[in-house]
Amino acid sequence: MPGSLQNEAKQSPYERMLQECVRGELRIVNAGLPRNQERLSVLLNEQYPRVPCHDGSSHLFKKAELEYLASILDPDEQKALALPMLIELGPDQAEAAIICEGTAEEKIVSRTLDMPVTCEERRIRIYRPQLALLRRKLKTTTVYVFSPKIVG
Amino acid sequence: MPELIKVRPTKIELVKLKRRLSLAQRVQKIVKDRLSILTMEFLQTARDTLQAKNRLRDASSRLYRALSIAAGYHGYIAMGKELTATETDLKVVAGSRNIAGVRIPSFQLTGDGKSMKGYSLADTSSWLDRAAQLSEECLKAAVELAELQRNFELLAMEINRTKRITNALEYVVIPGLQATIGYLNMKFEERDREEKARLKRVKVLVARG
Repeated sequence: MPGSLQNEAKQSPYERMLQECVRGELRIVNAGLPRNQERLSVLLNEQYPRVPCHDGSSHLFKKAELEYLASILDPDEQKALALPMLIELGPDQAEAAIICEGTAEEKIVSRTLDMPVTCEERRIRIYRPQLALLRRKLKTTTVYVFSPKIVG
Repeated sequence: MPELIKVRPTKIELVKLKRRLSLAQRVQKIVKDRLSILTMEFLQTARDTLQAKNRLRDASSRLYRALSIAAGYHGYIAMGKELTATETDLKVVAGSRNIAGVRIPSFQLTGDGKSMKGYSLADTSSWLDRAAQLSEECLKAAVELAELQRNFELLAMEINRTKRITNALEYVVIPGLQATIGYLNMKFEERDREEKARLKRVKVLVARG
């Protein structure tokens, strides 16, 4: 009996609509995520630097931004830096985290924000005003990721 | 006063309503987070658009001044003859990027930094060079402004849509569910009290005999 009741509850149109809304919102916000990240050194040599996205579109990088990143990093770091950089938005609305693989991201964020930053558990944590500053300079080389933790 | 949802006052309905409420709160959390990001981007785009507009206006005014001087120096006919050779195809690479679920266009003028001068440098003056240089700046500013203006519009539309969803959840759906849950809880408590009173009454009647 409880099982059938649960099924009935799950199938009620109201709940289905809300569930669809959750799914839809998550799908919308994360649709523009890149299917794969590309190294800066590779992108610098491309005529039209872009990466494919999950929704079938492609994410175009601005050459000026790539050159700005290249001016900060040495050749080894350029090979290590994967673009676009992912900015994770978690349940805490005041903070955002930049997912980093190595020291290249740390160097870029530190130079762009003009302050020292540290990477903890593969995340560089910054506050929203700093996020606005970062996005102002790195519009196409960063993308937002809405973490599933938000809905947890 | 939130409107109560018409449901049968049963425990099953209460469980269903609680589940709906938790779902609605989850949706609200995502939508609010998205709205805050969109607003941040919108404000930044608004500032950038304003700056780009000013840049384009300045570049245009300087260009017209430089072009007037060059036309005065060379004469319209001679300058027109020289400038017919400068006609080149402009290429703008158009792509897109995504900001929190909003697909916005991204334009880039190709051949950045490359000169578009095609006229004879020997037969023209530096005034014309200056005008050509300023026209390149003007073009770049126009392309940048086109991109920002479109981004501005798209972000504004999405903020409007998201705000409507947030308001609906915050002021209609969630309060309605909370009020209905509260109403059902009160109803069940009232039923419990009635049941107790009834049992007491029955007990007294049984005791009387």
